Amino acid sequence: MNHDLIKILIKRFISSVLILFFLISFLFILLRIAPGDPTQRYISPGLSPQLAEKVKVSFNLDRSVQEQYLSFVKNFFSGDLGVSYSFHTSVTNVLFEFLPFTISFSLIAFFFQFSLGLLLAVFAYKNRSKKYLDGFISGTNMFLYAVPSFVSGVFLIYLFSVKLELLPSSGIKNITSVTSDFGELLFDYLTHLILPVICLALAGTPVYFKYFRDNIEQNYNKLYVRYLRSNGVTENVILYKHVIPNAISPIISYAGVDLGMLFSSVLITEVIFSLPGMGRLAVGAILDRDFPLVVGCALSAGTLMIITNFIADIIKFKIDKRLINGVLN
Amino acid sequence: MSLVKRVTILFFFTLITIFFGCKKTNPVEKNTVVIAIPADIERINPLYSFSFDEANINELLFLSLVKHSWDEKKGDLSTEPMLAVSWEWAKDSSSIIINIRNDVKWSDGAPLTIDDVIFSFDVYSDPEVQSYLYGTFKAFYTDKDNHIDIKKTFEKISDSKLKINFLPASSPSMYNLDFPIAPKHIYGKIKRKDLINAAENFHPVTSGAFMLEKWERNQSIILKESVSSFLHNTDGVARLAFKIIPEYASRLAQLKNNEIDLVEDIKPEDVKDLKISEKLQIVPVKGREYDYIGWNNIDPEKYSKEKRLVPNKLFGSSKVRRALSMAINRDEILKEYFAGGEYGSLANSPVSPIFKNAINPAITPYKYDLEQAKKLLAEDGWSDTNKDGIIEKKGEKFKFTLSVPTNKPRRLFAATLLKNSLKQIGIDFSIEQLEPGDFIEKLSKKSLNAWIAGWAVPLPLDLKISWYSDLNKTPMNFCSYQNKNVDLLLDEIEKRISNDQKNNLYKKLEEILYADQPVTFLFWIDNVVVYNKRIQNIDVNPLGVVHHCWKWSVK
Repeated sequence: MNHDLIKILIKRFISSVLILFFLISFLFILLRIAPGDPTQRYISPGLSPQLAEKVKVSFNLDRSVQEQYLSFVKNFFSGDLGVSYSFHTSVTNVLFEFLPFTISFSLIAFFFQFSLGLLLAVFAYKNRSKKYLDGFISGTNMFLYAVPSFVSGVFLIYLFSVKLELLPSSGIKNITSVTSDFGELLFDYLTHLILPVICLALAGTPVYFKYFRDNIEQNYNKLYVRYLRSNGVTENVILYKHVIPNAISPIISYAGVDLGMLFSSVLITEVIFSLPGMGRLAVGAILDRDFPLVVGCALSAGTLMIITNFIADIIKFKIDKRLINGVLN
Repeated sequence: MSLVKRVTILFFFTLITIFFGCKKTNPVEKNTVVIAIPADIERINPLYSFSFDEANINELLFLSLVKHSWDEKKGDLSTEPMLAVSWEWAKDSSSIIINIRNDVKWSDGAPLTIDDVIFSFDVYSDPEVQSYLYGTFKAFYTDKDNHIDIKKTFEKISDSKLKINFLPASSPSMYNLDFPIAPKHIYGKIKRKDLINAAENFHPVTSGAFMLEKWERNQSIILKESVSSFLHNTDGVARLAFKIIPEYASRLAQLKNNEIDLVEDIKPEDVKDLKISEKLQIVPVKGREYDYIGWNNIDPEKYSKEKRLVPNKLFGSSKVRRALSMAINRDEILKEYFAGGEYGSLANSPVSPIFKNAINPAITPYKYDLEQAKKLLAEDGWSDTNKDGIIEKKGEKFKFTLSVPTNKPRRLFAATLLKNSLKQIGIDFSIEQLEPGDFIEKLSKKSLNAWIAGWAVPLPLDLKISWYSDLNKTPMNFCSYQNKNVDLLLDEIEKRISNDQKNNLYKKLEEILYADQPVTFLFWIDNVVVYNKRIQNIDVNPLGVVHHCWKWSVK
């Protein structure tokens, strides 16, 4: 088993590095041939075109794309992603500054949408005889799924921050606070994260609800449930010990992809709530034509996507060991 | 315990946290003013104040030799002492002797001396450094790379007295001395070309009324009062927090919610709603920024391929450009986007109405007059000979592409209005929306035929950077306008003449630009500033909102 897992790990690692390398190579060339000049905003209006050209040279953008690419590949394999044009420090430093927030924020939102989807599905199934309740939950979920996050975000700010004045509307902490008390700081962070997490989780919850609801129903119709019932196993044991674990298994693959997507799609929430995460960083880098940082952001998004998928696969293997043979073959 | 039970417990635990987390939001702390800015700055180094916000923050952290204030009555800038306590010009303005304060210290305790002043001129003009002022020291003795010649320029008379010599034929002014002084004992230890990425740009040694307390990237920049500064105001603001809020709607919500104190560039359509709040003060600052429709005066293809200046087949004639200016109903845009003209005014030239003595009162806006526009086009030889609804001249149809940067609804609205009007006089064009980075690149390369953009007039007024004929000297002359009379006037303005003479020359210049219409000037846009009334002594003027904010106090 361990031997097989190591084989999978090596196989995945090699393919992942290749995928990431091709991804950023493609992006590197695309950025160079796309319109837009990163040096434009560093040129003062009074500077003549000849002097402005000197600024370009300092960015190494006077060299051909091939030369730039070769230098990039050499640096990439030595772990150097270059220096960000707008942060004036190495891209790796910038990524390490912003990545932890996005990972933790996305994980919290993911936990919410996953658990809320599961709870609602179980609740809806248990109350399936009450048609109005089941219909209400399904209808509300459909509505939430249809509402874009920029609408729900603005609505949450309007309701909880402007009207009720209950929660802060932006940032991850009170910027003027001078407290160093851990409890107060934690509380401050938590209160600032409530609205963004709700906003991000609202869109994902209906998807998980729908998946869980359908899978629970499908499992209840399977023969093993009849067998358990005929052996006198109680409904609660059937649901919690047998149906739900079986209903979760097929969703894990989707959850892996979803978490990866969440890491790179938190942009709107980050912008609305002024959060210092990777989404805002990536868009800022694109608009500023900060080429090294754009490549760095793409690399981190791709890496996170691959890691989450891999973790999802490991969990699936744990649940169903037959899948390992499938992957190896 | 089953999985669902565990999830349920965790979920409800989190809900309880949320419940107790809800409390009345914290308004801004007393004696701290929070200002919203849309984007983070890149570094805190006065040499690289490329953006407006960087310049504002550096002004608070680093002293300059002199400071300038906006004189509303004169409609011009006035010079006041700062680091320099007094100065004396030579009779022929070929030199100036300045006396600087001897009680100023950097935030690390080192004294600020004449050596820092000389070093600053040296480093700002060094081509290796590429500062935001590089190439602008035209009144100084420089080498062929525009680097100031220190020996020829500076004479250190004593520890607090410095003589600065200027080029014989130049026209120096106090504006040449108004830039933040850099710390020699810090920057002098760093290789010049490495200054742009130096670690010192993130924990700067400063000399101003404020010092950096904390900077969290993409979140906030917090400045605290510098108690030892001679500018320190005991009743003033103790902390100044710049909160980075990229979303306009979020900035508004937080302003209403007391989470922030001051927001600039409020859209006129939101003013009505903000007026309801008794705690907010609304101040429109008369425009320094205008929108215009650019007509490329030269053929973009010939210029990009052969670098030849050939008149544009469509927009090469001033008669045609005048006709185009008459074909847009600017009043309608003012009505739609500037609350009927309350927060904007029609523009006739690149001289803002804030320059009361330089503006030519005889010039009145071109009226929306399609018949007159048709007449002018006919006089220039344009007519619809083949009756297809599009006018032509020598086989060339009057068709073009108008480029507009994305995310500017006002400019898109103006483009749509223009399209409808021009159709009525037989001109057809398509509207192309370009991503801002792409738009600016094409504009710089002069490859656009027609476009709608904005321009902020520099203080002090400088029209040479955008209207002088020599395109190698004036890259901001995007429409490639060329007029020898304008060049003569601009050269004359640069000479050692009185302000009255300068203002008269500006008025003549406006007349020529008005007649030539190198671009169609649309409107001046007011900067609508909204702040919490708890901020006292605030002077909102064209120089900026946080200008001299050490004079503010908090109620």
